[in-house]
Amino acid sequence: MSVLAARRRAALLVALVAAWIAGSALGATQPAGHASAAPLFQLEPAHAEYVPVLDGSKPIYVLVIGSDARPDQEVESQRADSLHILSINPAEHRASIVGIPRDSYVEIPGVGQNKIDAALFYGGPDLVVQTVEQLTGLKMDYWAMTGFASFEQMVDDVDGLVVDVPFAMSDDASRAFFDPGVQRLDGDNALAFARNRHDLPAGDFGRSENQGRLMVAALAQLKKEFNKDPARLLIWVASFVRNGTTTLAMDEVLDLAFTGTAINANKVENVVFPGGTGMVGGLSVVTLNQETLDAISKDLADDGLLKKANVPPSPNEPLLEG
Amino acid sequence: MTPNRVQRGAKKKRRLPLALLIAPVVLVAIGVAVLLALRGGGGPIIGGGDEPAPPFDFIVKPATAISTAPDADEAELSASADEVAQEITPTIDDLYTNAFLDPSNWRHDDYEEIFAAFAPHAASTAEQSVETLTLGATAGDVFDTVDPGKSKSKLSYQVLFDPDGEPETAVVSVIFRATAERKNGTYLAIVSEGEFFLRQIDGEEGWTITAFDVMRDDHETEPPSPSASPSA
Repeated sequence: MSVLAARRRAALLVALVAAWIAGSALGATQPAGHASAAPLFQLEPAHAEYVPVLDGSKPIYVLVIGSDARPDQEVESQRADSLHILSINPAEHRASIVGIPRDSYVEIPGVGQNKIDAALFYGGPDLVVQTVEQLTGLKMDYWAMTGFASFEQMVDDVDGLVVDVPFAMSDDASRAFFDPGVQRLDGDNALAFARNRHDLPAGDFGRSENQGRLMVAALAQLKKEFNKDPARLLIWVASFVRNGTTTLAMDEVLDLAFTGTAINANKVENVVFPGGTGMVGGLSVVTLNQETLDAISKDLADDGLLKKANVPPSPNEPLLEG
Repeated sequence: MTPNRVQRGAKKKRRLPLALLIAPVVLVAIGVAVLLALRGGGGPIIGGGDEPAPPFDFIVKPATAISTAPDADEAELSASADEVAQEITPTIDDLYTNAFLDPSNWRHDDYEEIFAAFAPHAASTAEQSVETLTLGATAGDVFDTVDPGKSKSKLSYQVLFDPDGEPETAVVSVIFRATAERKNGTYLAIVSEGEFFLRQIDGEEGWTITAFDVMRDDHETEPPSPSASPSA
């Protein structure tokens, strides 16, 4: 008899994500009203002219920009030290992360051929979005940007990130000194892990993959904490809002966070656009492998997910094999 | 025709419709009595239906404020969080009273009232989980009484404030306990634990449940001590 069932659960938070999103997105018109002269972290719609669809009926594309701005510098006036496309398929609770090497030599709209990291300097996040969209053909729904200080603070606010460090690191420049294995990194160490490239065989390619690894770790941790105590979601959202700025309504930030809780981190593909290095006019640049770039971009366009066949080899493969 | 005749004729005409009116009223009264008898199971038939729900209130712990403004006045936010808790608590009290304690609901598998607390999208999901969120469809066949006793049922709140210090979202953690006596004389401890997310939806009054995660952990239990008196 049903009333005698000893233990049953209405675990509807995850099931409700799409509905929650759809319901509140309709009312998400009021800006959060928080502004800062030198924003440390920003999350914004990528386009003013349309409202991202958050009901799970289509993938969500977020361009994550890591500025190399130090605490006393404005993030927008510096270079984009890291660039990742985070594509989320809410319906399937899966996501893909694609790193774009910062030295990728591409066409920047209105600027010409240049390294992609210069787009932030020339035209802020909007130009970075335009550049990535032109490069991949994918239309971004949001962009998110962080500098060093806000990244550290956010990680500390959620009591650190549990990261499976894939191999030993020993790099004086970034102060990344890690033994391999699962460990909780505080903000300072997470930043060091994200910045280390000198002792990686593929340099910035490998670093970009490790930055994606941090995103996967964050998604896994968010989901784990949320499943244990749903109220933890508020702590994560508060950390984000406290350390950054956005014109998104709090409802929408919460919706995105809810979306994040539904993602199965074990099924996130974390890749980096492959390419070759060379010199152009005295600049060390990366020429992206056009065939792989097109295949990955096309694959992401339909459902936001990357098929195994389109997953390029890891730039850290020599270390992972070791 | 004299005036008297007119009056007499009028009186004569009224007698027939009155008789016709009385008959349906009597029939309806009999129908209602039969319906009550059929629906009420072992409950009272004459004298106003089921017993009232036992009085019940959750114990509310001090609320926790979660600030998004770096320079927020923590004391002020904490007071605001307690105010939010006070605003929301009657909704949760009613939800659990209607879902578990009110005999006029559980005796008749009639839990419609509880869905008013949910936002539309959440209500449709809640309806699919009615067995977990309520005493259940067959409770009227199984139980005689449900008693919250000396309540060990607790609510604790966490309230997220926007950078302007306005409450944005509240998460209430619920532990609800009651004791149900079965018709066969055995007892079941009713335990419902979980979290409800509430927001103030645009265009709607008050706080509405927009998401939830609720678990039941019912288990066999001993009869309550003689001093405790079942309220339903």
